[in-house]
Amino acid sequence: MDNTTQMQPILIELDNETRSKQLDRAATWFNNVLLTQASYRKLVQDTVEKIDEPHIKQYLAEIAMRAETHEEVIRGELFSAIDRTPSDIRTALGTMAGKAREALGDMIALTGGARGPWQDLHQVYLSNYNSMGAIAVAEQLGLALGIPQVAHIAFQLVADKSTDQLLLQECVLEMCSMSILYHERF
Amino acid sequence: METSNAERRKNTGFKISKSKFQAGTASPQDLHNLPTPARPTVDARDVVVPEGYTVEPVMVGLSFPTDVTFDDKGTVYVSEGGSSWPTRPYMPARVIALHANGETETIDMNVQAGPRGITWRDGELYMALKGGYHMQIVKYNLQSGELKVLIDSLPSGGWHEPGGPIFGKDGLMYFGNGSVSQQGVVLPAGFTVDMAKHPLAHDVPGQDVTLSGNNVRSRDPRMPYPYMVETGPFKPFGIAAEKGEVVKGDINCNSAVWRSRPDGTDMELLAWGIRNPFGMALNEEDELYVTDNDFEEKGERAISMDPDCIWHIKNASQPFGSITTPDWYGFPDFCHDGLPVNHPSHLPGRGTPAEMLMENHPPLAGPAAFLEQPHSCMCRMDFSRSDAFGFRGDLFVAEWGSMAPLNSPHPEDLTHGFRVIRVNVKNGTAEPFVHNKEMGPASKVGGGGIERPVSCKFSPDGKSLYVLDFGGVQVTSGNMLAFAHTGVLWKITKKEANNG
Repeated sequence: MDNTTQMQPILIELDNETRSKQLDRAATWFNNVLLTQASYRKLVQDTVEKIDEPHIKQYLAEIAMRAETHEEVIRGELFSAIDRTPSDIRTALGTMAGKAREALGDMIALTGGARGPWQDLHQVYLSNYNSMGAIAVAEQLGLALGIPQVAHIAFQLVADKSTDQLLLQECVLEMCSMSILYHERF
Repeated sequence: METSNAERRKNTGFKISKSKFQAGTASPQDLHNLPTPARPTVDARDVVVPEGYTVEPVMVGLSFPTDVTFDDKGTVYVSEGGSSWPTRPYMPARVIALHANGETETIDMNVQAGPRGITWRDGELYMALKGGYHMQIVKYNLQSGELKVLIDSLPSGGWHEPGGPIFGKDGLMYFGNGSVSQQGVVLPAGFTVDMAKHPLAHDVPGQDVTLSGNNVRSRDPRMPYPYMVETGPFKPFGIAAEKGEVVKGDINCNSAVWRSRPDGTDMELLAWGIRNPFGMALNEEDELYVTDNDFEEKGERAISMDPDCIWHIKNASQPFGSITTPDWYGFPDFCHDGLPVNHPSHLPGRGTPAEMLMENHPPLAGPAAFLEQPHSCMCRMDFSRSDAFGFRGDLFVAEWGSMAPLNSPHPEDLTHGFRVIRVNVKNGTAEPFVHNKEMGPASKVGGGGIERPVSCKFSPDGKSLYVLDFGGVQVTSGNMLAFAHTGVLWKITKKEANNG
């Protein structure tokens, strides 16, 4: 037995024009996500080479591999979930920003009295936090747009990067005395 | 002049205004191809209502809606809660007005956690708001745009919700305020963000209480190391209670229900010890009933198999101004079946068993008028007052639905709620009234039916029941995600009334 009527309901912000505009704005933010992740990936890749201590080197090598995977997920799956394409320019800018962070670390080390690769490690720590925050925002945009795929992709990336952040923090805090007080490499 | 912390904790800077809002209409085809993958289809044919009733969607694409009300000219108002359940993402806190001529406008406000309950009365929109250390009752004059804060003294800033406001035939305003804590003690098992926003928030009793000295030990998630802390009842997180310590009762408490004059003056505390009196309704005899949600089976004070319930607030039938001692309904030490939280029938299958937090308890004001399956999450509700709709005198209750497996390990809890039930409050029985073909939310059982009913109210003529559906929510054993633009307002009408 039919229990329905033929009334037309109103749609709240789901018309094509509003929706398309909001997806374009989300894509603009996703390009920021890509930039921050590319910056972080470049920085952590370069830092692995500067570390001698075998355990920290291994941790960072694994983090660098994850950073590459995460960047690919952002470039592919995240954009695809909103039917938009990433900007290659932002990736290139991100890589440049990663190199700039290395230079910043060198300058801080020079003026702040730290030695060795610790300042690079410190910049990796800050850079991951930056990109993690950008991805967490992407997760919120997925929820706000009613797109579970965006939320799930971003949530997993944030979860991985939160774990990496704990590890990076631990390495930075453990090795600061070696770098600042002893002026030793590690 | 230096601003004290007490001043800073007051909610200030509230702005509100009306604006035009363009909303399109949707064809049946549109409703089967919505751009929100979290709810791609809305189809009334998948909603089950009793024979002789029709169901139709009225609004589609709402973001975290909380309540619905009507004026005397046929306008339907729906509140969207802003930062709600969970707290992010924030979507605009506002009220959407759908006028009888089909035009729409919004009443926008700049509060973070916005309107939770709305009621139209004599040209004013009365709203209960969350956010900050205090919940608020405000009224907004729809003609002049004047906003008045009527109540701004009730401690909030944690887990549970404001109830009401609603009005009785006596012309008085009735409202509630849920507990800050989820389980009787402020703990990280709730959303940690509340601890960051409101580190000083805590429950406040409605009467003097003596504490047992039982504290709850937990990790402090705000600290960089795994600090363990002890927290007592009626204390901010990390503050322990002493055995025999007396906490003074206050009319400005929580887990409580009040009434006042419509301008908020002469506030009278009717009852406390009600964990979450989110749903409130008065019947044709002006008897007050409120919903209460059960304890959760998780974390450091876990309680199992506590039924949801509806309380009859008997003090509301006493003359205004005559209540010298509020009734106590059991929170934080008793389940809704009247048994203590440490009774063997409530021992948890997971989490740390609860201990009693108070000594020398006041007498319990129960029993409950109706007990419901655990974790049904009964929300806003309304009595049928019309023979045109039928079931006159029955209480229609929106059930948001279970948050299992997050808050319960029992598989049978997974499908509790996700419907509107019809309760006979006199004999404590109920029947499902609106649900999907298979019990559960549409996103689980398939189809374009209902997700999570959060409110239901009868139209002023009594002929139609509007059911507000919060929208798509995904719950796992570890987290909960809610999707904006997936809420729906449904309208259910008795066919004879529609034709007549």
